[in-house]
Amino acid sequence: MAQIEIRDLGIDYRKPKSNEVFSAVDSVALSVEKGEFVTIVGSSGCGKSTLLMAVAGLVSLTRGSIEIDGKRVDGPGPDRAVVFQEASLLPWRSVRGNVKFGLEMQRWSGGDLNERAMQMIRLVGLGRFSDYHPHQLSGGMRQRVNIARALAVDPEVLLMDEPFGALDAQTREIMGTELLRIWERAKKTALFVTHDIDEAIFLADKIVVMGRNPGHIKEVIKVDLPRPRNEAILDSEEFHELRKRLRAHLAEDMSSMQLVQEVA
Amino acid sequence: MIAELFYRRQALVLGTLSMIGIVAFWQIAVDTGFINPFFISTPSQVAVEFMAQFEDGSVATNVAATLYCFAWSLGLAAVVGIVLGMLAGWFADVESALEPFIWFKYSAPTVAFYPLFVAWLGYGRPTIIAIAFLFALTPIYANTLSGIKNTDRDLARAARSFGAKPLDIFLRVALPGSVPVMMAGLRLGVGRALTGVVVAELFGANAGLGYAITYYGQLMQTTKMMVSIVIVVVLGVLLTQILSFLETRTDSWRVDNNR
Repeated sequence: MAQIEIRDLGIDYRKPKSNEVFSAVDSVALSVEKGEFVTIVGSSGCGKSTLLMAVAGLVSLTRGSIEIDGKRVDGPGPDRAVVFQEASLLPWRSVRGNVKFGLEMQRWSGGDLNERAMQMIRLVGLGRFSDYHPHQLSGGMRQRVNIARALAVDPEVLLMDEPFGALDAQTREIMGTELLRIWERAKKTALFVTHDIDEAIFLADKIVVMGRNPGHIKEVIKVDLPRPRNEAILDSEEFHELRKRLRAHLAEDMSSMQLVQEVA
Repeated sequence: MIAELFYRRQALVLGTLSMIGIVAFWQIAVDTGFINPFFISTPSQVAVEFMAQFEDGSVATNVAATLYCFAWSLGLAAVVGIVLGMLAGWFADVESALEPFIWFKYSAPTVAFYPLFVAWLGYGRPTIIAIAFLFALTPIYANTLSGIKNTDRDLARAARSFGAKPLDIFLRVALPGSVPVMMAGLRLGVGRALTGVVVAELFGANAGLGYAITYYGQLMQTTKMMVSIVIVVVLGVLLTQILSFLETRTDSWRVDNNR
């Protein structure tokens, strides 16, 4: 059985002013195997972040269900940890304090908190910076702390919501390679939301392409590029093919969006 | 060398120079007969009188009386303001319930309540403390409220994703995040509490700097009065500076390190 099983998922929002009901995600079904790296890609407003937050248990479902290892999701749980996009680190805590935060919240009982935190900080390559505060770190380093904080609680599933979205292209590429290195050692199931096509292909075993109005899954693409991966695969034939396919999907979404704007 | 020192501490040097300038101007203006010393005395006379009052112990008595009321009023305002501010910041209903009182406090001058407090508590320390407490309460309450209420949503969400309960979020996210804003409120409260004490002492007290100011003022003894005015000013600056220092210590994480 798959580790994450999403069935007929629908999430509606009520717009605060008009009281209009608006469907962010509808009829989504998806299974993710244990240890799989799945990226979710789509243009903005396709509900990809909402879907991820639903798996995290931070958004309530209107229809359908999400199960993890056969257990229904009805809130955050220690089997999942989230890496958020931007400054979701506590600015008044040091790197170590931040990595310990999740452990404190979950009343970690697996030994010394400091030791566990330091282990994770070294894993993401920030050993020398454990006493620094977030404002003293670069954007890339901050996201490493975010990843360390999530891995520290030893979740079954790692959920990442455009974690490198605020980084420049070069740092982003480095972080992608870094993430794969860490993931291959940590052996976690990963769900990774992005709007960057190259990132989506580079990281994935499986790419979920989403479309808009309401957010739905357009296609699930298997990626058979060999692992471990490095930047060299960006030039491979298969990578180009995948990129072309994803571009076509997103272009379709873009043109339908323009049409809506013209009509409006 | 000297030029470099000047640029590094420009603000401090200029501030000191302008202070010295004003004092010198004051002295000279009176010495040359430009201003009648009856209205404003002179720095040298004030200095001599200060030493005299210092030696006979009246400086100590007045400062102690004022600081006693100041400490009580600020302490009470801090406790009440922070507790109410935290409750109102966390529970929107509490905020709505307290709103009209804060409104009154903002629109009506606090001194207007003075006769009421005299009727309840009589002349003397309880009334002084009550007035100064009201002076200091609003900024402490308002800052605590806004600090808690404006808790970073992204941080709260991240905390929830790790299984944080509302109490965890309050204690580990909202509260530490509000400390700098609360300190700023306390700094404002310090100035307000001192003002409140001195104003209340002007009206009815048997010791304290405000009392000394009115007492000598009514006797037209300008020099003696100026001593207490100068002490009030120095005290105010000193207390506010202490709080400013504590404030910068607590919000070091909010600013860029290479400032």
